[in-house]
Amino acid sequence: MNRTRAVLRKTAWAVFTIFFVIILNFFLFRVLPGDPARAGVRDPRLKKEAVEALRVRFGLDKPVINCFESLNPIKVGSCDVNPLDTQFFIYVRNLLQGELGFSYHTNRPVADMLAERLWNTVLLIGAGQILSIILGMGLGMFAAWKARTALDYGAVSASLVAWSLPTFWLGIILLFWGSASGLPVAGKATPGMSSMPLLQQWADIARHMFLPTLTYTIVYMGEYTLIMRSSLVDVLSEDYILTAKAKGLNAVQILRDHAMKNAMLPLVTVIAINLGFTVAGAFAIERVFSWPGLGDAIIEAVARRDFPILQGAFLLIAVSVIIANFLADLTYTWLDPRVEVE
Amino acid sequence: MIGLSMLVTMILVAAFAPVFAPYDRIEAIGISDIYKPPSAQHWFGTDDAGQDVFSNFVYGARVSLTVGFVAALISILIGGTFGLVAGFFGGRWENFLMRFTDIMLVIPDLPLMVVIIALTKPSILNIIFVIGLLGWTTTARVVRSQTLAVKSRKFVLRARAIGAGRLHIITHHILPLVMPILVVQAVLVISLAILNESTLAFFGLSDPTTLSWGQMLNYAFGRGAMSTRSWWALVFPGLGIVWVVLGLILLGQGLEKVLNPRLETHHLMPGKPVVRSEAEAKPVPPWSLLEVQNLSINYINEGQPPARAVENVSFSLKEGELLGLVGESGCGKTTLMLALLRLLPSAGQIINGRVFFKGTDLTALSESRMNEFRWSGISIVFQGAMNALNPVRTVGDQIAEAIVKHIPGFPRNAIPARVTELLDLVGIAADHRDQYPHQYSGGMRQRAMIAMALACNPQVIIADEPTTALDVMIQAQILELLDSLRKKLGLSIIFVTHDLGIVAEMCDRVLVMYGGVTAEYADVDATYNDPKHPYTQELIKAFPDLTKPKKKLSSIPGYPPRLDDLPPGCRFAPRCPAVFDRCHTELPALHTVADGHVASCHLLEKTR
Repeated sequence: MNRTRAVLRKTAWAVFTIFFVIILNFFLFRVLPGDPARAGVRDPRLKKEAVEALRVRFGLDKPVINCFESLNPIKVGSCDVNPLDTQFFIYVRNLLQGELGFSYHTNRPVADMLAERLWNTVLLIGAGQILSIILGMGLGMFAAWKARTALDYGAVSASLVAWSLPTFWLGIILLFWGSASGLPVAGKATPGMSSMPLLQQWADIARHMFLPTLTYTIVYMGEYTLIMRSSLVDVLSEDYILTAKAKGLNAVQILRDHAMKNAMLPLVTVIAINLGFTVAGAFAIERVFSWPGLGDAIIEAVARRDFPILQGAFLLIAVSVIIANFLADLTYTWLDPRVEVE
Repeated sequence: MIGLSMLVTMILVAAFAPVFAPYDRIEAIGISDIYKPPSAQHWFGTDDAGQDVFSNFVYGARVSLTVGFVAALISILIGGTFGLVAGFFGGRWENFLMRFTDIMLVIPDLPLMVVIIALTKPSILNIIFVIGLLGWTTTARVVRSQTLAVKSRKFVLRARAIGAGRLHIITHHILPLVMPILVVQAVLVISLAILNESTLAFFGLSDPTTLSWGQMLNYAFGRGAMSTRSWWALVFPGLGIVWVVLGLILLGQGLEKVLNPRLETHHLMPGKPVVRSEAEAKPVPPWSLLEVQNLSINYINEGQPPARAVENVSFSLKEGELLGLVGESGCGKTTLMLALLRLLPSAGQIINGRVFFKGTDLTALSESRMNEFRWSGISIVFQGAMNALNPVRTVGDQIAEAIVKHIPGFPRNAIPARVTELLDLVGIAADHRDQYPHQYSGGMRQRAMIAMALACNPQVIIADEPTTALDVMIQAQILELLDSLRKKLGLSIIFVTHDLGIVAEMCDRVLVMYGGVTAEYADVDATYNDPKHPYTQELIKAFPDLTKPKKKLSSIPGYPPRLDDLPPGCRFAPRCPAVFDRCHTELPALHTVADGHVASCHLLEKTR
């Protein structure tokens, strides 16, 4: 009962956050200067008809929102307009229909261009997260179990170094090494692979994923190792571990049945909070290895000043992170029976 | 320390860049000098424009560190203010600010930075502001929780009560205590800001008029360092970032350890090996179920003299006997009990003596053989069952676990019934079986603990102050329960307590400990009516007796000795009313005063 309420509250909160991001995304692109279409409309060299055509093409002939004609420069307008006929409402309506506008560069719908890239990013982050969590938990567990031994000091030092590596730089170093040892270093698949049997295609993708995933795993594994270790050391000094030991359970049984679940709780929180930060790492990796994901798309869009792509990619990535965060939060609720009393 | 010196080195390099840099940074040397490997002239080689990488590296340190520190300062100011305001004022402000923080925390910060910088222009000021304005979230959370913790401390409440202004309270009482944590946080925020700056620069979002490490990497990566395999242009700027960030992280960890020192010990760390006594064991009398002979235990911490927690303690426990173990806090009672099951923390070491359980010397067993005796032979009820039960597993599950472990043939499908039976035995209804410990009251938890202790039909139960944290009514219930179970199941119990009333009422024999040694060991009647050791006499005087309501209560002045700083002679000498010269120099031996009655006092020798 209480648990259901907790889940409902979290769902409502996630929906609210998504809504906040949508609004932020809309106003960010209207308040800040820099969008060539909007800047272009103010270019004195353009003919009146051309300006008007541009305004209609990008929906700029409508007021931004009630009471405001435009936000950069700020132009107060009539408050007595049909709210359904404002830029803001049209933007939200299009979003709900899955439309993210058109690319300045290719004139194709942004949603189509980004859909596949989103999955590529999710694939990279997913594989990297799973590996770094499993390995980090394992290494952290051994470090805590064998606390204050050479194994512990080794694991902690290595993790601290991994934690301070800039992701893109580690990527570059691995790329250097990978290109010398003949691993594929760019893109997601070898050209011409799409005519091959499915299994071979997958193997090809896996080969291409190796270095990007390795980079991601090394960087985040360090942090997870450190958190798992300190959390497990705390749990292992609890009274109930002494009880378990007095019950005659051996070290492996105690770790498995009494310590791991309890120690994982802080880790889940950190994973949830971290998701937003790990996107940064994924972007850097995509750039280094030309992995066709959202990060790569964002960097390209910045270089080409293709703002609809930038806007769409930011929205997609933010919403994905919010949803992933929400799922991590639910996992916590499921892991910890005490949540319902709070 | 290492972290601080790593950081200071790089700050010095950046501050005195012109001294360190061998070349003026704009000085391009010419087409022929592009991507030259490291040499005596160019320590780090040359880059795509033929510039000296080392010189650029030194100047780049300035940019990277400046951006990192200034941006972090902004983040810390915003986050610190938000956290303080939310924590101190509470209510609506807190709700609003923390909700806002939560939202900003989930929005991925780097993509947002990319978008904002792309929409404005990548000048160094813009970059500093954007990194600073988006990096405050974790700081706000950390500061808020610390402010909340500090706010309810007594001296803050007192300052409020005498009418100190809010601003005064914040600046004079709260800020000084939030500051240390803020400093640790600041160190981490700086490292994140430096990493963010370098990533943005690598994405091409950097001020073209300044050259940071990230930008050097971006240029080298984008302009052929890869294809010409000019590793030096890629490796050195990155090492600079790693150096500074690692330095900051180490510094942060070091500061945290100073602020929040933790003993990094836990229950799975291997204990110290048992020191086998040279002497032959004395014969164990056949009626003795649990026989402890001359047991001594030290706590050994590096760089400190060993703490002699228990010295030369002997006792024997018969079947069905209830032995009371009495003494003030810190006299080695719990250490002694943990040692019986070889559950000492990793600093504890049995340095002498033997423990026989049904004729088997427990001190000689391997860890895995020892596990067979734990719980099935001797089980233990800890003080304060609050934390002795695992919070994330149901109580029934934790009881069942012991059965599965120690009674291999027990039919699986009969386990739930057995668990219900055990809970029933201690008066817990069956429908609580699948509940979690937090759903139990304190008394119920202690009874569940007793049910768990009974699960494998042990012959001995050690009850280590099982009622300390409970209120008087519940205490009485638990004691009655233990006593009735003893009679019903024929258990032997060692009952550790401060409470002489309980001992008088329930126990058969009493072992009085003082400062890690046996003061007196006798039948309960002899202990109360004819105590021989001055400490026992004083203890009894300090205890109210209902049959003699006019009796004057007296307390024993002073405190028990510290176990790592024991007096050279009798350990009770500094507080003893009957002390004489010899007591300060010589530890008294155990004297037998009657059959089954021993005490350690020099006075007993004189009277003989």
